[in-house]
Amino acid sequence: MEWIKVASAQELSNDEAKTVNVAGQGVALFRIEDEFFATDGMCTHATALLSEGYVEDGCVECPLHQGRFDIRTGKAMCAPVTVDLRTHPVKREGDDIYVLSPRAQ
Amino acid sequence: MTSPDVLIVGAGQAAAVAARALREGGFRGGITMVGRERHKPYERPPLSKAVLVAAEEPRLDVLPQEVWALGDIDLLNGSDAVDLDVAKRQIRLASGQVLAYDMCLLATGGEPNALASAPAGHPHMHYMRTLEDARRLRVALHGKPQVAILGGGFLGLEIAHAAMFMGASVTVFERATSLLDRFLPPDASMWLESGLREAGARLLLGASLGGIHSLPGGRIRLATDTGDLDVDEVVVAIGLSPNDSLARDAGLAIAAGGGVLVDALCRTSDERVFACGDCTSQQRPGQAAPMRLESWQNANDQARTAAAAMLGVPIPVPAVPWFWTDQGKHNIQMLGLPALDLDYLRRGDPASGKALWIGHRGGVPLHGVALNAGADLRAIRPLFEKRLPVQLDDFLLDATNLRAWARQIQAGAAAIV
Repeated sequence: MEWIKVASAQELSNDEAKTVNVAGQGVALFRIEDEFFATDGMCTHATALLSEGYVEDGCVECPLHQGRFDIRTGKAMCAPVTVDLRTHPVKREGDDIYVLSPRAQ
Repeated sequence: MTSPDVLIVGAGQAAAVAARALREGGFRGGITMVGRERHKPYERPPLSKAVLVAAEEPRLDVLPQEVWALGDIDLLNGSDAVDLDVAKRQIRLASGQVLAYDMCLLATGGEPNALASAPAGHPHMHYMRTLEDARRLRVALHGKPQVAILGGGFLGLEIAHAAMFMGASVTVFERATSLLDRFLPPDASMWLESGLREAGARLLLGASLGGIHSLPGGRIRLATDTGDLDVDEVVVAIGLSPNDSLARDAGLAIAAGGGVLVDALCRTSDERVFACGDCTSQQRPGQAAPMRLESWQNANDQARTAAAAMLGVPIPVPAVPWFWTDQGKHNIQMLGLPALDLDYLRRGDPASGKALWIGHRGGVPLHGVALNAGADLRAIRPLFEKRLPVQLDDFLLDATNLRAWARQIQAGAAAIV
């Protein structure tokens, strides 16, 4: 198990996201209701960074075509996206946010 | 003779979404879908993009396999509906087969406008509507040909970018003197134009085309007012005409500009016949006359509306029109509808690769244009839904957080009432 420190908590406000590097992979880190979640960084439908999407009600909308994913589960919620996102475990220690390296999963 | 309860004519995006919405809404009767193409319903937006350039053809199915596996939607593909009889409530297919219905949904889509001098059967002339069209052009692009694209609309320009990506040399003919000037503010149009030129496209704007001639050896000569141009492939992308002849011949109301006329429930002039998607024309808020709206979103939304109306449940709240186009590596989105008398305010600089425009009339945001700024446009969508005058000064300030700004306005703080 390899946990990678990717951010500190104050870097994101609620309903914000950023792309972080986890062992060479772009991962989207989200803050929702003061909890942190991580998914694959790219939309499953087109070449778009989900961290540039629109976050609301626990979902992220892709900035290109408004496909929507549930951030907690990765589930594809509406067309045009049909393939779920992979999610990645996140843990918080103090102000430090860690994501489990996808390689270790 | 079968007796389906709902008969859907067409098997594209709108047809598929309507069928699914009927089932999700608890509809228990039969659903039969009649489609001219030999495919399950598929997404058309990628045809002029990923299908042309991706190493592997992307998955295009509108409905997941699980839905078909349920077996409660009958698809008659490769079938052409040739007659609608609203008195007898039946459809006749080209095969002679007759299908009766209780309710009929026309989702017949549209047909590319054709040039007589560019016959669709010619091996080096292309139109773009079906998966076969896209596959055929894809194969042609692999030879890195010289390509002439007739029509500088969204579709033509998407194809231009895809062709250049594949190594083709591209000339775009457009009758208007600037690109997409009905849809984009002038600075956005200029940005698009310079981007295409920088990518290597030759743009002939304000061009008039004299004739198209097949040369011995397979090349094609285009006679223009600035001389002849010989190319390997010609792509015609000069708009779409609604497939409304079935409805027209059945005596249903057709809009002045073409398209099956539907009301807010997507009902035609016959109470048992509904229509949705590219084949329709519908009155919309703030518009003087019924209009056609050729978009992926409209196909989906009208399909859900028609399904709700057939089920007799409340229809979804009509969404503000939304449209996207992928131009090479750039994504352009539009929200609302353009009009000639709108004033546009711009935030950001297109040269930086990211900009957002609000087109407004008297402070009422009516048309948003986003260049690589889809999430920003999404954040201010409520302003376009409300159609209320807004103090727009803060929109222009870099420091303004658009989402917070839109929320503040929604809360009433900045609305001028």
